[in-house]
Amino acid sequence: MTPVGFESFTQMADSIATQVVSEKYRAKLPCKPKDANAPDDACSKQVLDHYGMLLFRRPLTSDELKNAVNLSAKLAKSQKGFYAGLRYGLASLIQAPDFLFRKEWAVPAADKTWAIEPYSRATRLSYLLWNSTPDAELLAAAKSGDLNTAAGLDKQVTRMMTSPRLDVGMRAFFNDMLELDTFDTVSKDSILYPKWSSTIAASAKEETLRTAIGLALHDNGDMRELMTTRKTYINRALAADYRLAFPFKGDWVAYEFPADAGRSGVLTQASMLAMFSHPGRSSPTKRGVALMDIFLCEPTPLPPANVDFSAVNDPTGPLTVRQRLMAHASNSACASCHTHSDPIGLSLEGFDTIGGVRTEEKGKPIDVSATIQGKSFLGAIGLGDFLHDNPKYPACIARKIFAYSKGVNSEDVTASSFKYGHTAFIGSGYKLRSLIKGLVEAPAYFTADAPEPAATKVAASK
Amino acid sequence: MKLDRRFFLRGTSQGALAVMALPFLDCFLDSKGKALAVTGRPLPSRFGTYFYGLGLTKQLWIPKVGGTDYEMTMELKPLEGYRKKLNVFSGLRVPLDDNPNYQHWSGAAAAATGISPTKHSEFDSKTIDQQVADVISHGTRFKSVSASAAGDPKHGYSSLGGPNTLPAEASPLSLYTRLFGPGFQDPTKGDWKPDPQIMVQQSVLSAVSENRKTAMANLGAADKARMDQYFTSVREAELQMAAELQRPDIQAKVAIPDAPGEMVCNNALPNLRATLPLMAKLGAMALATDQTRVFNMSVSEPGSQIFVPGDSLGYHQSTHEEPIDPVLGYQPRVAQYNIQNMELFAAYLKEMDAIPEGDGTLLDHMLVFAFTDQSFAKIHAVDGLPIMVAGGGSGKMKMGHHVAGDSSPVSRVGLTIQKAMGVSLDSWGKGSMEIRQPYTELLA
Repeated sequence: MTPVGFESFTQMADSIATQVVSEKYRAKLPCKPKDANAPDDACSKQVLDHYGMLLFRRPLTSDELKNAVNLSAKLAKSQKGFYAGLRYGLASLIQAPDFLFRKEWAVPAADKTWAIEPYSRATRLSYLLWNSTPDAELLAAAKSGDLNTAAGLDKQVTRMMTSPRLDVGMRAFFNDMLELDTFDTVSKDSILYPKWSSTIAASAKEETLRTAIGLALHDNGDMRELMTTRKTYINRALAADYRLAFPFKGDWVAYEFPADAGRSGVLTQASMLAMFSHPGRSSPTKRGVALMDIFLCEPTPLPPANVDFSAVNDPTGPLTVRQRLMAHASNSACASCHTHSDPIGLSLEGFDTIGGVRTEEKGKPIDVSATIQGKSFLGAIGLGDFLHDNPKYPACIARKIFAYSKGVNSEDVTASSFKYGHTAFIGSGYKLRSLIKGLVEAPAYFTADAPEPAATKVAASK
Repeated sequence: MKLDRRFFLRGTSQGALAVMALPFLDCFLDSKGKALAVTGRPLPSRFGTYFYGLGLTKQLWIPKVGGTDYEMTMELKPLEGYRKKLNVFSGLRVPLDDNPNYQHWSGAAAAATGISPTKHSEFDSKTIDQQVADVISHGTRFKSVSASAAGDPKHGYSSLGGPNTLPAEASPLSLYTRLFGPGFQDPTKGDWKPDPQIMVQQSVLSAVSENRKTAMANLGAADKARMDQYFTSVREAELQMAAELQRPDIQAKVAIPDAPGEMVCNNALPNLRATLPLMAKLGAMALATDQTRVFNMSVSEPGSQIFVPGDSLGYHQSTHEEPIDPVLGYQPRVAQYNIQNMELFAAYLKEMDAIPEGDGTLLDHMLVFAFTDQSFAKIHAVDGLPIMVAGGGSGKMKMGHHVAGDSSPVSRVGLTIQKAMGVSLDSWGKGSMEIRQPYTELLA
């Protein structure tokens, strides 16, 4: 955490603590001071112990509690107010490393491996499922030891997966997996695409999240359909982008593209099409490279530094994008990557840089045929079917959600580590809930490698 | 919302109190206008970096002769007004040794650290601005401040090394809020007094750092480094607060304007033409009022995605795809973007030069290190990186020179700057870029 980052955390911590002790909210605190103008260690201890547990995702140590109580007392005295002092005691917890970093503690287990201890298990589960800290019930299950039993774990996971907070947690996951966090800085050429606006951009991101959550959680559907579904959610801004009538009064409505619209799942949503394009035009290479990485877990290496573009730069005749890309095939160094990623992108050339349908480029009809790994297909629908039926795609989702839950890079996890989840995913007909349940209930999920010299480890910072 | 530039200036003149306080400040200057008459303390050293992407076109920017009488070339033309406050360096080498040429990264990292990077998008050491800040920033509110004109906080090329890149403020409003929002005590005003809240916050921070030992216990090496960085940041916040208890000595004639509105911040050139000068102005005010002594500005990312609306290729794609014109011998559209990029640099310098301070302007009392990622972007070449230094460093560096291709490593410029800024070091850079000999002819 850099100084600039800490600066904003410390300000935020103080602002949150100020609100908690404000006159409006102080009635919700577990106790009242004997005298509102003086320190009251018994009461501040009760408050700090209670919130400390929720913040640190474990009980505070006696030293931690003592420090925070003493700070509150000292400042309550100098500021002449119990709540004024409590504010700083609380703020000190909200900017402490034990709140800002997720620490996972492990203890030696019977069979020579190390086991993640119960509070760290609760934290890992709640960040995966809810993208937030554990609630009181989950912490209680950690405290009682229930969470360490198969039945206790299953009970909590089932409870957490029926909570509406699962939507929040999975939105965070899809935002990460689909790289939608990079979408905020995407810009489009205002002369070539005057229609594009920050409202459309925000709506496009929301559309994709709604589609993913709708399919995965609300419909409990087959996740492979994310590649093929024509069902989506649109608002007025997106209707304009997709050139659809929007005769509805509401904000967001469910919508199904007609079969002949050429749309295929999130692949043809404005978000994915716009994110992996240039400001003024589409880019089959960018699209291909991104989709290979996101959906098939196959990253593409960087191109060589001294690429010679002279083969594709014929100033006398306007070449189509496809013709220019095909020049790579004549150079074996380029071909090894481009034959891998470009077909995916070329099959999406029927969509421009903001996701609109187009049929011509430079006066010539666009050829959206593609061949990849010996399979030939046509356009976005063909690509959707190709990915839908590709076993690497569900394996990639399993890999990504496993890595996400552990806070590690998805390229650094072994296939065996998410095998349980992956098998459950396939067995259930590709239901996301089954995948998650399989992952977290796998026997090895809450084990850790034996540390070298030290006894614990920090898995991820948040 | 589009910010009307006049609105900004109107805001400036509304700061009536601040404007009136200025003659009062001037009277503290000695007869040469150089130092506070009362304390005899010289103006503090100030430093800035300016990052621009994709370099320039060799045939169009390198003057034919070295020294002070060089001709203003087509691509340097926008900077003509500042030639006496500018040094340009051509022919610098960037030996990458055994590391790969990370496209749009190795050159920038080498210029900023003197080290050929071992990873894309990470610097292998503290960047030059942080090395300078370690020496010159004591007692200021912010050790350094970074700003990105194209709206992305990741476009910050200031780093503590490794993954610890310092995020940049990505809009004029967020830059303004950080500098002049809550916690800012205007030193141009007569009624300056330290905020009593600061001392309270100091005791909170010291309570946080008391847990350092237990927090560091039992961690593996990588996590220990991460936790150590956290506590270093806490320490820096403590120093920042200590600085806020002292009224800065300032000599500049400025009035803090009202907050700017929301603006569209992205890579479209017309937007950059609005955001960049405004952010430069705010940075200049922060330097002039001694809120910070190090201000880093970036136009775009390396591999600049700047585009002129209507040009579907944009800057970066043009460098790779535009053919070299057989008659001209260069890429004409790329050359146009180069010039537009230099116009933005001139707009930045204009803001630094617009603040009167002592015997000159803020620019005269600072050094700006302008660097880029490529020399010839078409093939990702790094040798011959176009590097410039602007300002005057309060007379510590001789200006107005074209230092023509002497095949020095790019780190020689960084070493020379640090010598001028008073950093005590014998050598700078690593591997083939390690250098001991500064440009002594430029050092006063």
